[in-house]
Amino acid sequence: MLNLDAITSRHYLGITTNQQLLYFLITATPPPQYTSQRLPLNIAFVIDRSTSMKGPRLERVKAAAKILIDNLAPEDTISIISFSDRAETVIPATSVKERLQMFTQLQGIEASGGTEIYQGLLAALHELRKKPPGQALNHLILLTDGHTYGDADQCLEIAEQAAARGIGISAFGLGAEWNDHFLDLLVAPSGGQSDFIASPEQIMTHLQKRLQGLGSVYAHNLRLQPKLPPGISIREIFKVAPFAQPLNKSKSDIPLGNMEGVSPISLLLEIGVEPQFTPKNIDISFSLVADIPSHSLIDFVTNHRQPITVQEEPPTEHPPDAIIEAVRILQMYRMHEQVWTEMDEGRVQSATQRMNRLTSRLAEAGYEDLAAQAQLETRRLMKMGTMSLEGRKKLKYGTRSLMTKSLALKTNILTDNEGQK
Amino acid sequence: MTCWDCGTEQPEGALFCNECGAYLLDKSGKPVRAPADQLPFTDEGAAPPQPHLAGQSWEAVQKPTHLTFIIPITGRRVQIPLEDDITVGRGPVILDLDADLGAQEGVSRYHALIRFTDEGLILIDQNSTNGTFLNNYRLPPEIPYMLNSGDELRFGDLLVHLFF
Repeated sequence: MLNLDAITSRHYLGITTNQQLLYFLITATPPPQYTSQRLPLNIAFVIDRSTSMKGPRLERVKAAAKILIDNLAPEDTISIISFSDRAETVIPATSVKERLQMFTQLQGIEASGGTEIYQGLLAALHELRKKPPGQALNHLILLTDGHTYGDADQCLEIAEQAAARGIGISAFGLGAEWNDHFLDLLVAPSGGQSDFIASPEQIMTHLQKRLQGLGSVYAHNLRLQPKLPPGISIREIFKVAPFAQPLNKSKSDIPLGNMEGVSPISLLLEIGVEPQFTPKNIDISFSLVADIPSHSLIDFVTNHRQPITVQEEPPTEHPPDAIIEAVRILQMYRMHEQVWTEMDEGRVQSATQRMNRLTSRLAEAGYEDLAAQAQLETRRLMKMGTMSLEGRKKLKYGTRSLMTKSLALKTNILTDNEGQK
Repeated sequence: MTCWDCGTEQPEGALFCNECGAYLLDKSGKPVRAPADQLPFTDEGAAPPQPHLAGQSWEAVQKPTHLTFIIPITGRRVQIPLEDDITVGRGPVILDLDADLGAQEGVSRYHALIRFTDEGLILIDQNSTNGTFLNNYRLPPEIPYMLNSGDELRFGDLLVHLFF
C-alpha cells in the first residue's frame, strides 16, 4: 500500500567519547499500481481582511477564491471566513452549487481593522465541523499578511485541536510583514504547509497548487514513528518533498500531512548519537502510519529498519549524494536562521560575519540568485546594521525550496543507492 | 573533528560545519584536515600572554617590507608597505577601517599607530575611545607595545590579524 525506503550517511559508527551525527533520507511513495479515489473536499478558506490587505492584495485574494470555487467539484463543501480583529462567516459551509451567489458575497469583503487570526480560525473550525467526520478531507487554508495580535498561543492550541480532529492546515503569508515562525508552528500539528507568497499575482498559483494536491490525496493523516535506541535522538527533521517544511521533532508521532498524487514524501533527519563505548549492533527503525481511503485502511503501518554497526575504527563511507545536497542546503537554511537569532540578540558583528559566509556558500554551490540576495542583505547589514524583512522571507523560503529542487535532481541517485540497505 | 575552514569543533559524522557551512569531507568521505598555517585565533576564555612593552627586548630585528592585515568581519586583506608610520582609524589614515564597519565597531577616527623602531614593530594606542587590544589585552594609551607576526589586534570591537 505504501513503500518506505531510507538511505543513511553512515552504516558504521565509531567507538568514541564524542557525540556523532547520522543523517537519514526517508522516502515514502505510493505503490506503482496506485489508484486514487478522490475524496470529497471540505475546505475552509480563511482570508485576512486587515487594513494592510487593501487594494490589489484583497482583490487578488477574491479572484483566487473565485477560481478556487470554480475548481471544486459538486460534492465538495466550501466555507469562506474573513477576519480582521473579529471574524465574519462570508460563506457558511455549503456544497458548491450557487456559484454566482457565492461570488457576490465574496465581492462584499472589505479591508479594515487589525489582524487577529484566532477569531478567523475559530469560525473556520466551526464551519468545517458541520460535515460529519470521515466523509470528506477537511482542510483549512489561511492567507494572512500580518502578525497576529496577542492571540498566537490560542491559535496554536486551536491548530492542535484541529489536527486531532483530522483537519489539515495550510498557511500562506503574503508580502514581508508576517511571522514565518508562527505560521510554521501553526501548520506543524497537522503536517501542513506554510509558504511565502511574494506578490499578489502569485496568490492564484499557490492556491491552485494546494487545491490540486488536496484533490489527489492517496493517503492522509500520515505520521512517522521513529524507534530509536537509548542515547540516540532526532536533532532535526525536515520534510524536503513534495515541499520543504520543518517538522516537530519532539513528538513520538511526527505529523506528516497528506500524500498527494504520485509525489513521494521525503524526510531528512539529523540524528545525534551519544558517546559509544562498546562494539555492538543497533537498529534504527521507523514506522509510517497512514489512512488510505481507497483501500478503507485506517492507521495502516509500514516499517523500515536500518541496522548500524558500532565498532573500533569504522570504515570510511562516502555519504550518498542526495544526502550531501540536502544537508548542504539545510545547513545554509540554518545559517540564515542563526543570523536572525544573532540579530535578535543584538550580536550584529557575528550576524554580519555569518551573512558573509552564507553569501559565499550560496555562490560556491551555484545558487546565484540567492547569493545575490544574501549579498544585498549583507551590505545592508554593514551599512545600517539591519536587514530587510523581505530579504528574510526570500532567503528563508528560497533555501527551503532549494531543498526540494536539489532532491528532485538527485532522485536517480536515490534509486542507485537502494542496494545499500 | 575540526572544521578545516573556520577551526571550530564539529561532531563526528557531520557533513557541513555548523558554524561556517563548509563541506567537511574529501572525495573518499574522510574529514578534510585543517591546513597547518591556520589563522591564530585566540581560544575564547584562555588568558593570552601579555604583550611586551617596548624597551624590554634587545634582539636585533630585521625590518619587514610589508605588513598584511586580515579583517575577518569583511574578509578584507590589506597589504601596506612598511615605510612611514601606519596610522589606524577611519578616514584619512593609512589603515582606513571605515569600510569594515569601523564606525559601528567603535573604531576612533585616529585610533592607533604602528611604527617600526630599532627594537622592532610597535603599536601605540592614540587615546582611542573604545581602546586598542593586543591579543585580548587592553593597551594603556600612548604606551608602545611590541608586535609579532600572527598577533590579534582589536580596535574597539573590530578584530584585525597582523602578519609580516
